[in-house]
Amino acid sequence: MQDKTDFYRRLNIGTGASEDAIKKAFRLAARKAHPDVNKNDGATQLFLDIQEAYKVLSDPTRKENYDQGRDPHDSPSGILTAFEYSQQALLRLEEPQVIYALVDILSTQDEIQISDDLPLNIALVLDNSTSMKGARLDILRAATKEIINDLGEEDLVSVISFNDRAKVLLDSQSKPSDIQVEAALNELYAEGGTEIFQGIEAGYEEIRKHPTLNYVNHIILITDGHTYGDEDNCIALAKSAADQDIGISGLGIGIEWNDEFIDQLCALTGGQSLFIHDIKQVKEFLVHSIASLKEAFSRRLTLEITPAPGVTILSSFRILPEAIPLPNQQLFSLGILKKHQPHRVLFEFLVNPIPDKIDQAVIASGEYVIKKKIRDQVIPFILERKLETDPDNLEAPAPEIFKAISHLTFYRLQEKAQQDIASGNPGSAYQRLLNLSSHLMAKGEDALAKVAMNEADYIKSHNNFSPTGKKHLKYGTIRLLLPDKT
Amino acid sequence: MITCKVCNNQEYHGVFFCGECGSQLAFASTEMVNTLVYPNQNRALEVDFTQTIPKKLLEDSTFILYSNEREEVIDIPDQNEFTIGRFVEGQVITPDVDLNEYEAYDMGISRLHATIRISPEKGKIFVVDLGSANGSSVNGYEIPANSEVPLNHGDVLSLGKFNMKVILPQDMK
Repeated sequence: MQDKTDFYRRLNIGTGASEDAIKKAFRLAARKAHPDVNKNDGATQLFLDIQEAYKVLSDPTRKENYDQGRDPHDSPSGILTAFEYSQQALLRLEEPQVIYALVDILSTQDEIQISDDLPLNIALVLDNSTSMKGARLDILRAATKEIINDLGEEDLVSVISFNDRAKVLLDSQSKPSDIQVEAALNELYAEGGTEIFQGIEAGYEEIRKHPTLNYVNHIILITDGHTYGDEDNCIALAKSAADQDIGISGLGIGIEWNDEFIDQLCALTGGQSLFIHDIKQVKEFLVHSIASLKEAFSRRLTLEITPAPGVTILSSFRILPEAIPLPNQQLFSLGILKKHQPHRVLFEFLVNPIPDKIDQAVIASGEYVIKKKIRDQVIPFILERKLETDPDNLEAPAPEIFKAISHLTFYRLQEKAQQDIASGNPGSAYQRLLNLSSHLMAKGEDALAKVAMNEADYIKSHNNFSPTGKKHLKYGTIRLLLPDKT
Repeated sequence: MITCKVCNNQEYHGVFFCGECGSQLAFASTEMVNTLVYPNQNRALEVDFTQTIPKKLLEDSTFILYSNEREEVIDIPDQNEFTIGRFVEGQVITPDVDLNEYEAYDMGISRLHATIRISPEKGKIFVVDLGSANGSSVNGYEIPANSEVPLNHGDVLSLGKFNMKVILPQDMK
């Protein structure tokens, strides 16, 4: 049994501390230890420890159990949720108001230790259409070989090439020999067009050769082209992939590929889509994707959120583990839950005026479902806020949520500039990108500010985005949302 | 609703940043974003003025308007608020700073074009466009009429087509 003052020590308080004192101590300790602020090794662990201690000490029943020396992880799930709001309270107003909430979910260290590790089941779906000819394919081949080599004993991998039709180069298997991989990749040569559906369907079938319950299942799609006519099939397939706990990540190379489509495809499964301008970055992407999947605590996480009557969800954006705008719906497939990193979503709610007699208003209720090896774990939560009459009583929001909202604004500005162009209004797109550039500059994001500035100039003379500019800005502003910008 | 001071866009209470122009609407003290640094697109105006402005002037004044084209300091009165425009014979209200010697008419400067307000309390300097015919802009960003827009060191303030560099000597170090 651990020392029972341990949780108190984590928050730097005595065992007799009042509820209020515990709360204050937690805020202080959490702010100091937050990995965004504290770059020391072990800061994440410290932060998790503090959160864990607070979860127990702030709940009277659990605190009592803890004080009596019982294991604090007994009853609850081993999963923590944490919320940060843009305002401590909702205002009493005659008109609608907006409130943001950062919703975090993470597993406790103890829970991680008792959980089984899930091996990976990966399908690499590689575009070998004519446009990939030459250096692109060579580099892709080398990167693929390298990551297959780094996979664990139990991990499964398959390789599929696709153009107008798909070809399984390497059957789904664990630890293929070097010779097999070499032989498979030698069959990767450039020909034909791009039909993404062919590729992902073959990947999907390869993955389903093994029971998806026992693996972290993921299709990694690498393409440089525009798919024609099979978009609807792809979307339908992505939906059923999500239902079977298969994620899809996409990497677009160069300027030709259809970013909106790939974004949508991946977002349906909680996967990430990325853009690289230079093929040389492909290895980095693959290594990062695999490393990220290796960190999986659950093979899938879903979140259903139901706004209270009078509340609308204006937008939702996943911030961790990878930043992606979430589709406009209430049931989200969020991909994997990682072991050592919270899963974080930023919600923007519009709240209608609240009746006078209500002092504490529910904004939304939600439910996470964590899918692990055998059992599913359901974690319900409620988002609610007290009512406040005097706006002057509201303190400035915590830096984390403020930063997230400010970065979301950047994403929104480039999105609006796209809409301006689409609706034949290059003048306002120009103006907006200038604004975006100046705000980025003020945040020290000089490189992206420059991209925005150049794009504004381009729009001024061409009345449209430059071929790469749109993607640069979109994925650049999305990347800003990641707290550590990896 | 809250109104964005920069672009007059309306946002709901609780929104931190204007959805149209990205300016910060609330919690300015949180200083996460310096809202009103306009991008300087007039890169041609990036010249070294330290050689052409007398040292003494840089030491003594809080605010200098500088014409890059002529490489000279524009004569402004030593007061906390003054108007800029173009003097016309028989005009009833005359501007404190008359830009006729800079070809004001050709530059599209109105008779009473803008007001400069130096606010020692706020430690800031503002420009207000007085509803001029051809408008004003800061670093190429057109500013709304009749509202205060802060000026920062290095900004290019344009009245009509006439460009002036804003120099705040205390911010130069």
